[in-house]
Amino acid sequence: MLIEPGMDEDIIGLIRENVIQGRVSQDDEGLDGGMVGQPGVTELTEQALAVGIDVRDIVNKGLTGGMQMVGRRFEDKAYFIPDMLASAEAVGAAMKLLEPHLAHSDIKAEGKVLFATVKGDLHDIGKSIVSILLRSVGYTVKDLGNDVEPQSIVNAVREENPQFLGLSALLTSTMVNMRDTIQALKESGLRDRVKIIVGGAPVTAQYAKSIGADGYGADGFQALEVIKSLTSP
Amino acid sequence: MTSPSIRNELDIDIKQVLSRMGYGTAGMPSARIESLVREYADNICHLIEPSYSYVIRDVNSVRGSRVFIEGSVTFRSNVIAKLLRQCPKVAVFVLTIGDRLGEVVRQLSGEGFLVQAAVLDAIGSDAAETLANVVQDIIKSEEAAEGLAISRRFSPGYCDWRISQQKMVFRAMGGDSAGVRLTDGCLMVPQKSISGIIGIGPAGRVESYNPCLTCNKRDCTGRR
Repeated sequence: MLIEPGMDEDIIGLIRENVIQGRVSQDDEGLDGGMVGQPGVTELTEQALAVGIDVRDIVNKGLTGGMQMVGRRFEDKAYFIPDMLASAEAVGAAMKLLEPHLAHSDIKAEGKVLFATVKGDLHDIGKSIVSILLRSVGYTVKDLGNDVEPQSIVNAVREENPQFLGLSALLTSTMVNMRDTIQALKESGLRDRVKIIVGGAPVTAQYAKSIGADGYGADGFQALEVIKSLTSP
Repeated sequence: MTSPSIRNELDIDIKQVLSRMGYGTAGMPSARIESLVREYADNICHLIEPSYSYVIRDVNSVRGSRVFIEGSVTFRSNVIAKLLRQCPKVAVFVLTIGDRLGEVVRQLSGEGFLVQAAVLDAIGSDAAETLANVVQDIIKSEEAAEGLAISRRFSPGYCDWRISQQKMVFRAMGGDSAGVRLTDGCLMVPQKSISGIIGIGPAGRVESYNPCLTCNKRDCTGRR
């Protein structure tokens, strides 16, 4: 198929709009409703690849552009967590299609992030949301799971060599284990190799500072902004 | 007590589920989210395995913020002490909806169906709260037959009652905790479980006890 003038911009614009609507496929009605039958992010991404649109444009202008709008709406309280998750689902579906093409493009990965819910805590929804948001904007994410011992996190930092480590806790009784984890990293000599971001319901910016973390995210989008700001030279 | 018959009493409150996900006065859900909640709420019966257990114990004495309960159990909390000072007895309970729903949530999340996972998780929380209401009603009827009334329910982790006190709640259960176990960090497994106490005392006194009325923590999610 030949690219007609303006066609790539049209498709990318539609990808962006459908990310905002949280539409994975043509079967989804979209957040505003009434869109069943119209191509969703999956069909549009396939179409974009078929007509030879640059993978970088699909990711940066389409998917990331859409998620940025979603972030603004979330910040303005026009979107709620399920709405944001619907958009993240759509981005995730597109990324699966794009994966084989990414290796051949010159899109550089933004960085590697390890995530863990600290020892004693089993809650993981917040951590999963941040992981998804980061994946959607090009970070490589590895999730170590829940109830992770400080030593296991130290080992993972040593083996994976990530640029960032995200620690999550939902309870005041378990957030103290963030401090222990940071201490264990210090003792192993790895603390300065990785930027540490903390988050979770009881965590505050003040607490993050007191335990020696590099950043704090009150919600998924804020965590994303903090990581981006720490990425910048 | 494992109670499949109680499943039928666990009507999911759609408004409550939406409120758990942040909707309500701040904004309304899209048609997609609302229909997903309704569809799941109508079809989760097979994922709910309700089980509960409760014991009625004597309140031996209250000193300061410490409450001494029959069976070498001590609760430490000003809020709980203030309630149980007026109660000769206390009901201690543990309940769960089991882990089948949690397994499906984890599976959906792992496969990238994030909205479905979040909706199902919120429905599971509502089912556990509804089961707690059912258990509370059972205790209420039993005590009413003896001319006593019951208070609201209180759980470790809320107000000034530390989550580490889960150990005392489970000790009070005397070995029957409805299949729920505690982790070293005092979290319950399965996750969709609730434990706590209900004060039992003279009618006209304990029912109205509500520490939220004098608490300044306006943003508390447990505010009643």
